[in-house]
Amino acid sequence: MRKCRLLRMALFPLMFAATMALSGCWDIKDINHRSLPIVMGVKQTGQKYKVLLLIPEVSRSEMNIKIISESGITINAILDEINKSLESKLDLLHLKVIIFERPVAEMGLAQSIESFMRSRDIPNKTFAAISDGTLEPLFDKLGASSQGGGTQLYNFFEKNAGWSPEVVQTRIWEVYRSIDSYTRDVAIPSIKPGRTTTIESTGAAVIKNGRMVGSIDSEESLLYNLFKGIGTQGKIEVMDRATVKIVADRLTLSSTLREDQATINAQLNLKVTVLETVGDPSNVEIKQEIDEQLSSRFDTMLRAAQAKEADILGMGQFFRNKLSREELQHWRSKYYPSMKIKFKVHVIIQDEGQLKIR
Amino acid sequence: MNLPEFLKSRQEVDSDLFLHPMILAYQSVVLAGYRSLIDLPQTVTLLRQLTLNADAADKPLFDLKSGVGIPMNDPGEREVLNAIADGQMLIYSDISDRCMRLVPVSRTLSRSIESPTTENVVRGAISAFNEELDTNIGLIKQSMPTEKLQMQSYALGRDQRRRIVLLYVKGKIHERLLQSISQKIESLPEKDIPDLQALSDLLGFSKWTIITRYNTTEIPQEAASALAAGKVVLLLDRFPFALTLPILLSDMFVSQSDRNVPALLQLSLLVLRVLGVLLSILLPGLYVALVSVNPEVLRIEIALSIAGSRVDVPYPALVETLLLLLVLELTFESAVRLPKTIGPTITMVGGIILGQAVVQAKLVSNVLIIILAASTIANFAVIGVQNTMSIRIYKYLLLILSSMFGLLGLFVGIVVICAYLGHVNTFGIPYLSRWKAGRRYG
Repeated sequence: MRKCRLLRMALFPLMFAATMALSGCWDIKDINHRSLPIVMGVKQTGQKYKVLLLIPEVSRSEMNIKIISESGITINAILDEINKSLESKLDLLHLKVIIFERPVAEMGLAQSIESFMRSRDIPNKTFAAISDGTLEPLFDKLGASSQGGGTQLYNFFEKNAGWSPEVVQTRIWEVYRSIDSYTRDVAIPSIKPGRTTTIESTGAAVIKNGRMVGSIDSEESLLYNLFKGIGTQGKIEVMDRATVKIVADRLTLSSTLREDQATINAQLNLKVTVLETVGDPSNVEIKQEIDEQLSSRFDTMLRAAQAKEADILGMGQFFRNKLSREELQHWRSKYYPSMKIKFKVHVIIQDEGQLKIR
Repeated sequence: MNLPEFLKSRQEVDSDLFLHPMILAYQSVVLAGYRSLIDLPQTVTLLRQLTLNADAADKPLFDLKSGVGIPMNDPGEREVLNAIADGQMLIYSDISDRCMRLVPVSRTLSRSIESPTTENVVRGAISAFNEELDTNIGLIKQSMPTEKLQMQSYALGRDQRRRIVLLYVKGKIHERLLQSISQKIESLPEKDIPDLQALSDLLGFSKWTIITRYNTTEIPQEAASALAAGKVVLLLDRFPFALTLPILLSDMFVSQSDRNVPALLQLSLLVLRVLGVLLSILLPGLYVALVSVNPEVLRIEIALSIAGSRVDVPYPALVETLLLLLVLELTFESAVRLPKTIGPTITMVGGIILGQAVVQAKLVSNVLIIILAASTIANFAVIGVQNTMSIRIYKYLLLILSSMFGLLGLFVGIVVICAYLGHVNTFGIPYLSRWKAGRRYG
């Protein structure tokens, strides 16, 4: 009993000392000794990559921005180089947006995206974006107009801040998934510095297997978001005879495969509010106009995507249980280009505004 | 034994002892007792009345039937001293060796019934226990008028006799709990009980525990409700608190006076207190974990503003937090010691030091001040002062662990605390159990 007690009393300081000695807590760096980049830009010049980082510089009273750039053979080598010359530790865990210059995306994102996923320094939920022009003017614009520590670009994509339904949100894990997936491609939003605003959305880039093969415009991005299930509430549709606001949407899809002919039945239920009318259109006319406008826009987008064999809407997902793994390998080349889609729009005019429609 | 001579020699070493000669019922007698405990003039008036009655009934003075006192036949030294130490008075005759003791009119040596000083009641009875044991028993009996209320009385200690009363409600109490408690108390009748730690030693509780195994309350209503729930209440002489056994986690969150508000409000009070405990334990550790080990958990806006507030702070987050916590703990401790008249001074000085100067001197970040202020306020949301103390301790464990292992350390610390709470039990009744009168435990 006595011996047991002594042993226990000896064990406690030993445990305490061991925890202290083995914890490695002296390597921990406090938050004010870390640089937290928010935006990373990647461009390619010849064989070399160039990386730009937008880092908020904090002090007690104000927040400034500094833009750091470095070039090298690989992105990780560049980051290491930047870390070496920074006065604080580079911590990429708060990175919010990675912007690729358009030529990089056209050459292929596979190498850089894979290195981001592998390194674990960068969160998988970081947004990916493509810059239409060169990166430097965009970063200068971001740096010049930053009040909130350079978070504008992040807020631009953030759903509870400045996001709007025409802007595609794509995170780097989704890009990584599309690189290896047989049945799903992805669109990455493209941006450029705005004339009066900081950033301007210019639609989205169609990425097939990590390589940019085409682009869709803002209106088509809305349909992309609709198929992704993000929602289109608040979007205003302007037509010839009326302007309506979408207040709710629901999309139901079903698929059939008969003799290698893939068919998708899509039914889009929309609830809209009438905002403006030109002349005196009836309810039926407005509904018909919405149907025609959306269907034709959808057809154009799908046909363009089918021509590029890029399944950005992820239609192949609906045939996963109908095709074998070997057949799925050829989804993009064999089944997808000839896939038919029956797109029906069912519109409910929930509210005619304060005025009556005849 | 020669009583007159023994008492005279005793008087030489104990000047409080009076020997008052007088004539009672035509006999010359001497009254003996403690001046500080006995109101002599009142007692003499009472005594004269009693002897007149005895005389009228033709009963001899030193007889039980006279109704004056209880006769003592050839008492020993010990017996005499115990009687007068208890506050009784001796009457003995000068000539013959007759002697008796009686209960005199005693001086009032305790305060009247006041409102509680360490607890506050918003809605409910506000009279509190005081130092008089019999008053305390009376207060409980008044809050609980039932014949099922039973009690056992003990006097413990060799040199100083201290009365301990054990109250319970027949039919509600677990017999095994009652038996184990009374067995423990009866096992060491010679043990002195100067303080609660000695009592907890007597009851066989470990010395190295963070959680005391009894809940203390100042309010008779609370003690009565504990009795009604089948718990045991211990009352000590000269101790203005009732001890209820066993203690449960819920004692920290639920009080009897909550029952005086509607159920929905009761529930929200309960949630608030639980939240208070969690905040108080977690916040300092969380701050250190987020600021130094896992800043990626924060939203970027907060991360930047915290980083901004910590610019130029020379110490790591742990040292910074410990520094300010030390000042806070010192403030608590000195607030207890300070006389009431200069109490507000410390609040003012402390407020200035903690609020503004320490931030301007760039010793700590102002986010930390907010965190610690919130944690401190939350600390006192629980019921009972003794409970706030244990919560204050847990905070440091989490602080150290999260400074080393970040959020992981914080969660490991919570697991350690939960494991510790799970191990605590009072006579086989787990601390974490949900109490129900009549349920079988242990």
